[in-house]
Order: sequence, then structure tokens, then C-alpha cells
Amino acid sequence: MGVISAMGCGASETADALKQARCVLRPISLFEVADNPPLPVGQVEFKSDPSSPLPRTHCLACIAADQALAGASAIPDAIVLGVTTGGILTTEALLEKGAATPEGCRHHGLGSVAEALANRCECTGPIITVSTACSSGGVALFLAMEMLRNGMAQSVLAGGADALSRLTYYGFRSLQLIDPLGARPLDRERRGLSLAEGAALLLLTTERPAKKALQLLGAGLSCDAHHATAPLADGRGAVAAMEAALADAEIQPTSIDYINLHGTGTSDNDLAEVRAVQSLFGDCPPPISSIKGAMGHALAAAGAIEAVAAAIAIDHGVIPANVGFAAVDPALNIEPPTAPQHIPIATVLSNSFGFGGNNAAVIIGDSQGPSYEAQNTHRPPLTVIASACLTGAGRTRETWNSFAGGRMCSGRLDDKTATEGLPPRTVRRLKRLPRLAMALAAEACHALPDESKPTAVSFGTAWGPLSETYDFLQQLFESDGKFPSPTDFVGSVHNAPAGQIAMLLDAKGANVTTSGGNVSFEQALLAADLLARPEANAILLLGADEAHPVLAPLLDASVNAGEALADGGGALVLERGGNRRGPTVTLLEYQFAPGPNCITELLDRMGGGDAVRRDYGAILVGLPAGERIAADRQLKDFMMQSGFNNPVVDYRSIIGQFGSASATAAVLAVQMIERDSVPAPFTSNGADKPLGGKGVLILGLGAYLSAVRVAQQ
Amino acid sequence: MHTPEQHAMDVNMDELIEELKVKIVEILNLPDVTPADIPVEGRLVGGDLGIDSIDVLELVIMLHKDYGVVIDNRELGAQVFASLQTLAAYILEKSPGSAN
Repeated sequence: MGVISAMGCGASETADALKQARCVLRPISLFEVADNPPLPVGQVEFKSDPSSPLPRTHCLACIAADQALAGASAIPDAIVLGVTTGGILTTEALLEKGAATPEGCRHHGLGSVAEALANRCECTGPIITVSTACSSGGVALFLAMEMLRNGMAQSVLAGGADALSRLTYYGFRSLQLIDPLGARPLDRERRGLSLAEGAALLLLTTERPAKKALQLLGAGLSCDAHHATAPLADGRGAVAAMEAALADAEIQPTSIDYINLHGTGTSDNDLAEVRAVQSLFGDCPPPISSIKGAMGHALAAAGAIEAVAAAIAIDHGVIPANVGFAAVDPALNIEPPTAPQHIPIATVLSNSFGFGGNNAAVIIGDSQGPSYEAQNTHRPPLTVIASACLTGAGRTRETWNSFAGGRMCSGRLDDKTATEGLPPRTVRRLKRLPRLAMALAAEACHALPDESKPTAVSFGTAWGPLSETYDFLQQLFESDGKFPSPTDFVGSVHNAPAGQIAMLLDAKGANVTTSGGNVSFEQALLAADLLARPEANAILLLGADEAHPVLAPLLDASVNAGEALADGGGALVLERGGNRRGPTVTLLEYQFAPGPNCITELLDRMGGGDAVRRDYGAILVGLPAGERIAADRQLKDFMMQSGFNNPVVDYRSIIGQFGSASATAAVLAVQMIERDSVPAPFTSNGADKPLGGKGVLILGLGAYLSAVRVAQQ
Repeated sequence: MHTPEQHAMDVNMDELIEELKVKIVEILNLPDVTPADIPVEGRLVGGDLGIDSIDVLELVIMLHKDYGVVIDNRELGAQVFASLQTLAAYILEKSPGSAN
């Protein structure tokens, strides 16, 4: 367990702060602000290494990771990290000075934080970066636990990290969600949250350690599918997440000894959350409190830091005080402890909620809960029951016609065609990326019968909503902090498009957004694989990115400033098991920083070159322009070692260089399987070539090695 | 009987209301609403127009920028944005450029 926040560095200092009910909120000094006095925040004081090029979020995550891994004998098999800020603190400062360069912004991406951890502990993954706003830490713990249960990993380093930034400071301020006096969760006079920063990482393992250790007993996710920022007033979404967590842990509400609230201190959150607790636990719920009045709200780190707080509560037998509370709000009718309460605690429920109606609940306990032995049972593959893609050439049909006709698909589809059919009132304040994502979702789902409509969403995006992010920052700088747009802030979070999709489809199940550069879609596929239970409702898997004229060339090494920009994405509706037939999609390989022998090892795992030639009728290969040297070498190795002699299509040269291009490639592969044919432009004799029941392999090369099989059922 | 000052204020009020209708449709990018559709006394937020809490905050920025009127908390915002009438009245009362 590793943790750093304004409460202290390490579990011991954090425990002391909690036991003393210390409020650590102070006026922000990390950067100059337009407020006098500056708003109080939970700012971490730590010595950063001046020689390190890593942004602040990365540094906080590394400190927590070093603590979590101290004494660990082996490299973790996987990393799952919740992040919303990535390198924005650095990028926004450079943009303000007009000094932003690709080199200066190379650690901007959310996925670069988990990569920094992976580099530090030599983990080659899988790594997943979860970005579901303020629930990210909780969602990360959920996915990590599923990885262990599915036998995908024996140990996972999981948690969350976020640093303070101008974007979030002014963003929450523009929403009038910051309490100028410091957060007072549950209090009658509460006026909002206090921002904070920090990181927490937990090393989760399937092995029962020799000394006493706590267990992550269960977790549950849900989505309100109601509003971009406001929770459902009756707390129904929060109830669903908590119920799912209890069912997952196989325990009753009466087994919960303490509820660590999300408890931000905003009027709406606290009201909805208390109503949720009261509806699930009745009039006499277990003790509840929020630690955000003491330390503030550390966004993606919050859920992970509070998992550590839950562990401290159990280890020390202490219910943390609800710092900042003074008077009962008649609307809540609840009185949390204002001083730490010393009682034995065995099981804690901890909530984390975020924009987009995103809800996560985790349960931590010292009981001998359900066996943590990996349930490495065979699960039916994911079946594609519907799909849609979008490129510069048009929507699905136009894209396929261009692709199959040997024409280029790359470019930026005009806004009118891209948003055709979407409700005008809904899209009125959405910019490029949420529009693309919603268009994909709507098209993929429009012909599905009600019982096959997806209830869960897994969305991958390399860079998130760039237009909203850029416009917010520009207006912030131009108005000296006075007039940034609250609409742009709400839209700038990476999971805003997935939240919009949930509302469009009324999808109230898990709603996950992943972000990791060129493998963002592969991460979303991995998350979908973890979320999709047999016989459960369908899940919408999609990947999309937007081509922003300023930010895309700055952030994405594969996008050249001088060249025409391209964007788009792809969506698949997936079921596990079930009666419907369709192509299957399977993530065979997903590896960070592949070594020189990675292709040999990949081919071994796939059964050797013979098996690859036998099983696959075509390969769609992703060669990111910014990683071309490594990718070309890997492709050469693959071709030489496999002796593959069927068509190989460099899809990025056709659909364009954008982060989630592999999502579009996946949809093209599905189309090839459904037609059982490789289009003429890619075959040796210039005629369509039957696949003859063989599959299509989507190979991702460069800084990551990934392999996705799309095949007949 | 209206005094001349009251009459001037009524004219100001009417002009301001018309001005605000146009700004609201434009800033909020309301697709199927014309300025004439916005009622003067009816509910502005949460009704048929589709205006929600985020829209109100966007209009708060406009008020600050265009009229120098600051609304710095949600409770006050809820009162001021009850209707176009209350909004216009608040601007006339608080705007540094207004007669009062």
C-alpha cells in the first residue's frame, strides 16, 4: 500500500492525520490564481527531482508506487491506474507561454503516468489507464480485481493519481462547485468541494501473504445515464453501484461496519449519496463519514486514497472524522462523527462517483471473503452483434466502400454528416469527440432489438475531447482566469463522451473510459472483456479520437503538423455467450515496451508460424507514424518468422493516423469476416479473395505490441 | 400613472429582455428555439426549453462579461435565473452601466 496526499507521505503519516482529524486544506500556492485569497486546496508538499522531466502527476504516482512495491519480491503482472490530469499541469503552462512543443508535451497523455510506473518497476503489462473522472480510482480497483479473478494476472498494481492543475481549479470554480471556506461535507452550509492532489497504489495479489493482509472483497459499477454533472437526485445510480459491490462480495448490508462516503461537499452529491445510503441501509445505517473535508478531493486519486483510508480504519479500528461538519442539514438528517471514533471495524464500503454519472463502490475487509483464487475457467469469447465505423470517407458504408475500393478513407468527416440523426438538443453543446462517439454508438445500436441493447460501455480514446480542453484553456488565458467556459470544462473530461452515450442509450451498467495513446482501444477491449459476464447484457465497445488542428500534432507523435488531419473511430456491440451469431473478437496480446524477441514470443504463443498461416486470411497492421522505426522492424520480423503469405494491410496509411485507428480497423475486420472475403485492392491477383473461414489478425506494432483476433464463431 | 423615470426603465427593461432572448439562444446554441419562444415570466431553467444548470453557469459568464454583473454562487443563480423577468430586473439593478 502506497499513498501520498496533503495528509502525508505513506500509510503511517496518513493514519496519524486521520486519527488527529487534521484539516490540511491551505490556499493554493502551486501556481498563481486570479482569486484573492486563493481557494483552499489539499496541495502536497514534496521534493521533486529537478532533473526528472516527468510532470507532477507522474511524480506523485511514482512515490506511491515505490511505497507499494517496497519489499515486493516480484514485478507486478499488470498495472491499472485511474488518472484524469496526466501531464496537463505542464502542458497548460507551456500553452499559456506559447512555448508548447511536442517534446515539452511528451508526457501529456493520461497513459504516460502508468507507463512511468511500468518503466520504473519493469512491468510489461497489461497496463490500463482508467479515466472516469472522480470515480477513476474505484473503477481501477474494480478492473484490477477482475484481472486477478480471471487469471489474467497474479499481481496487479492498482490505484489512482492526479495533480492539481489550472484546468481543474478553474473548471470546478466555473461550475461554482468550490467552497471558498473549504469543503464541509454533509454540513447544512456546505457550498462545494475543495480540490486536492495525490496518489495511492495498492499491490493486489491472489497469493495469501504470510502476514495478515486485507482483502478487496468486492466492487460494483453503475452509471446514472442522467446528466453530465448532476447525480440522480434520489441516488438510484449510487444505490446500484453499492448493491453490485455487496452482491459481488457476497455480503449483506448489515456486514458493513463503516461507509467511507464520496462526500465531496457539494450540495447535490451529498444529498444524492445520503439518500442512496438511507435507501439501501435503512434509517440506521452504519457510521458514515467523508475525509474530503480534511484533505479535499483528489479526483482520480480519491477512490484509491480512500481505499487506503478504509484499510487504515480497519487496521487501527478508527472511523475517520468528517472534518468540516458543524450542523445537521435537515434535508440529509444525518450526523457524521466530527472526531475519530475508536471501534473495531472489519468491513468498509467506499464510494467514488464522477462526472458522466459514473459510480463505483468498493468493499474492503479483513474477513476471509470469497476465495481469491483465480477462476481461470473457460469463458465463451466475445461475439460481435453489431458494429459501426467512421472515417474521413464517411459513415460505415462509405468507409467500407472506400476501403474495399482501394481509395483513401483518411480525413475529417464534415460535422453535418458525422452528427446526422443525433438529437439536436443533446449535441448542441458538444464538440467534435463526443459527437463522433455518439454517432458511432447510435449507428451501431440502431437496429438492435431492445433486449440486445448494450447496458455497459467501454470507450477508448487516446487524447480525450481536445476541442473542449483547448477552448477552455484559451478562454482561461485570454480572460486572465475570469471567463473559461463551464460547458467546455464539463466536456473536457475523457469520459464525457461515454457519459453522453450512456444517456443516449439509457445504459445504466458499468461505464468505463480508458486512455493510453495508440492502444486506447485495446485497453477498452481488455476492460470490456473484464466487464462482460456470460449471459449478461450486451456491452458497447468503442474507440474514437478527434483531429484538433493545434493539439493533435502537438500531442500525437504520429500526427505531422504539415499534413492533413484525420480522425474517426469504430464501435462494436459485444455479447459473451448468448444465442446470437457473429464474428468473435479476442485480445491475444497486449504488451508494453516489447523487447527485441517480442515477435518470436508472440508467434510461440500463437502456436508458431504454421498456425498463423493456417488461422488467418489477412492481417491489418497498425504502424504508428511516430513509432515507425520500431514498428517496421517488428513487422519485418513477423513476416520473416511467420512466413505469412496472405494479404497484409497497413491500415493507418488508408484510414489515417489517429490514436484509436485500431477501433476502425476492428470494424473493417468484422466486415471482412462477415463477407468472408479480403477486398481486391489488397490481394495479389487483384480480385476479392475468400477468407475460407479464416480469421483476420489486427496487429499493433511500435511502443506497444498488440494482437486482436477477429474470426468466425 | 407612470412617471417618466419609470417609463424609461420599462423601455430599458423591454429592450434588455429582447437582447437577452437573442443572447440566450445564441450562447446556448438552442437548436429548435427562437428568441420569441422564450417566455418573459415563465420558467427559464428545467422547463421545455431544455436549459439546465450548466447552461445557467454559461449565462453567468455572459452576465459578467457583457453587463459586469457577478453571480458567484448557485443559490443566487437559482433566484436570478428563475425567469427572464427576474434576470433582466437583476441586471438593471446591479449593472454598473445601468441608470441605477
